[in-house]
Amino acid sequence: MSLTFKGGLHPEENKITAKSPIEVMPEPATVAIAMSQHIGAPCNPTVKKGDYVFKGQPIGEAQGALTCPVHSSISGTVLKLEDRVGAFGQKVTHVVIENDFKSELYPEIKPCETPLEEAEFEQIVDIIKNAGIAGMGGATFPTHFKISSAKGKVSKLIVNCCECEPYITANHRLMLERPSDIINGVKVVMKALDLKLCDIAVEDNKKDAIKVLNELLEKEEGICVKILKTKYPQGDERQLIYAIDKVEIPAGKLPADVGRVVLNAETSSAIWRAFKYGMPLIDRIMTVTGDCVREPKNLRVPLGTSFSDIIEFCGGFTSEVEKIISGGPMMGIAQWDKDAPVIKGTASILCFGKSKTNRGPENCIHCGKCVGSCPMHLMPLYLASFAKIGDWDSCKAFDVMSCVECGCCTYQCPGNVPIVQYIRTAKGKLKK
Amino acid sequence: MGLLKVSASPHIRHEDTTRVLMSDVILAMIPLFIWGAYIFGPRVITVTAISVISCVLFEYIFNLIVKKPCTVGDMSAVVSGMLLAFNLPATIPLWIPVIGALFAMVIVKGIFGGIGKNIMNPVLAARVFLFASWPGHMTNYSEPLVRLSFFDKITEADAVSSATSLTVLKGGELPDVSVFDMFIGNMAGCIGEISALLIIAGGIYLLVRKVITWHIPVSFVLTVALITFVFAPDNVSSLNFMLSEILSGGLMIGAFFMATDYVTSPVTPLGRIIYGIGCGALTVFIRFFGGYPEGVSFAILIMNLFVWYLDRATKPTKFGGRVKNAKA
Repeated sequence: MSLTFKGGLHPEENKITAKSPIEVMPEPATVAIAMSQHIGAPCNPTVKKGDYVFKGQPIGEAQGALTCPVHSSISGTVLKLEDRVGAFGQKVTHVVIENDFKSELYPEIKPCETPLEEAEFEQIVDIIKNAGIAGMGGATFPTHFKISSAKGKVSKLIVNCCECEPYITANHRLMLERPSDIINGVKVVMKALDLKLCDIAVEDNKKDAIKVLNELLEKEEGICVKILKTKYPQGDERQLIYAIDKVEIPAGKLPADVGRVVLNAETSSAIWRAFKYGMPLIDRIMTVTGDCVREPKNLRVPLGTSFSDIIEFCGGFTSEVEKIISGGPMMGIAQWDKDAPVIKGTASILCFGKSKTNRGPENCIHCGKCVGSCPMHLMPLYLASFAKIGDWDSCKAFDVMSCVECGCCTYQCPGNVPIVQYIRTAKGKLKK
Repeated sequence: MGLLKVSASPHIRHEDTTRVLMSDVILAMIPLFIWGAYIFGPRVITVTAISVISCVLFEYIFNLIVKKPCTVGDMSAVVSGMLLAFNLPATIPLWIPVIGALFAMVIVKGIFGGIGKNIMNPVLAARVFLFASWPGHMTNYSEPLVRLSFFDKITEADAVSSATSLTVLKGGELPDVSVFDMFIGNMAGCIGEISALLIIAGGIYLLVRKVITWHIPVSFVLTVALITFVFAPDNVSSLNFMLSEILSGGLMIGAFFMATDYVTSPVTPLGRIIYGIGCGALTVFIRFFGGYPEGVSFAILIMNLFVWYLDRATKPTKFGGRVKNAKA
């Protein structure tokens, strides 16, 4: 019996790239590295126009705890620094670098000299921080901050390999092709936090990955695979912890408050690469897919590569593209610019042609499907109708601030009411 | 370069639109329609057609007059039309469904703001309106298998049937129709309400298609079953009395097709159960003590008015809301 949570739904999976091995995309001619690829303070560029940069060289740094540095993903010359609108809609400085195709590695990149058994907490956190690792599932929370704030509070690590969004298969492929990277990353974090227990959470639609992981973990103590029912949004850490341990994170609290720390699969493998090789986070695995991409693929892509270069590498479009989404179809962000660069949280590029999703909103018919599917146990229909008339107090009384914007309600809605959009408006008003 | 389309997430939608859900309801009701036409004759087809066409037309005209987008495409008017016809006897004068449709679609639904905004079930409100206005026509049931042709003129003198099983039950006696006949629907009654078997089959289809949930029909029927079993008259078998109560009148179609109307029923599971229990209790109360033999329509209409309070009272506890003052 697979573990699960209450609410949620199972959209058509459309995991068309599940069997495509990860290909390494050749470096592009130019990259644009965003100075803010994480939640927290944006970085200030440490290079200027005309500077030569090595592959893996830090080019942006920031003061403060909740931030992480960014590195160049190629070697070459800085063409310009320019302000662009970033993935989350705010203005972000981008460092544009022209590739010299020499792939000259930054000389200071070297493996950690201490073996893992002797590594100290501070040392590991520093490695993770200097490697610029942020949550790669999409939320891009700085990983070193997550780990330092979990120190002493948590008793178990959970690795999130659910990949509950339709279409995306990047973590699935990573589990199949580089499972030991994930497991070794787990060991680094367990060592740092002095943990004895770790659950690797995989949805039951990835049987092959479960098999691979189980074989590797046969002799490991404390690390085990937990099989979860395939249901969206299983990858939300609240639902994940609930499904595994039947513990609810109190509203407004973090996993550490219930003694858990949750890491994404690819983040874990990035931690291992940083520890073992000293490699900063300069590339990531992503799924390029959708109904109008000629050759949907799983790719390892240098950060800063533009979406249009990637799509070209995938054979371009088969029909006119209407929407390009950074992330999954349920929570991803629609881009207006084909030249948007890849950042640390870009788990997929999803291209949709003329879609049938464009029918206009109709009236709410009070069917209650949104209530049944809300993983946060809210009443989305009322939140939307209160927000529609500007009744923010009622929104608050109906717990609008607990909404995680997973989109289940809107996906289900027979009347196509843009419920999440109404909720975002209400949350924005209430935050002020 | 053409600009891309941007929109808020989620970027995909489930294929079940209002139109699809309503079409499912229509599909679930087709067997009832065919059975009605088999038992009472082709006149059923005429009555249903008039009712459906009037409902669609009135909705369309009302949308035009108030300059609202045309909502005929969502098929809800067709559902209303069919349900309205199903709540009429086959002998009904052909102008009555037209009046009923006008009342349902314009006064109960349209004026309150159209689909999703009405506070009462339009079909039941229309039924009660017709019942109060033309009680003779509304209770003029024909015998089963006495088939009326397409345009049979029915006069008062043709009053083909006397008492339905409900009137007999009200007198504290058992009807002379066998429980089996009642179950398959070989008895006098309104066009669509007679066959419990086909209603349950349609209900199961809607459950499987996730159009409705089990909460309302089950709590509604169980409540009626429990009360009628416990309070059955002394001189008859409790079990037979209970089964006759459940299989008579509009209870089955009410529980599966009318009380489950989205707009006028609660959205939470607990709210739906309370609503179903309320419908059941009121139905029996009216059947036992009211002036009419039938109580389903009134019961559902009364419970319709509590929907907002039930929703509010049964608001689920938010995720992570159970732990009060958890440690920081």
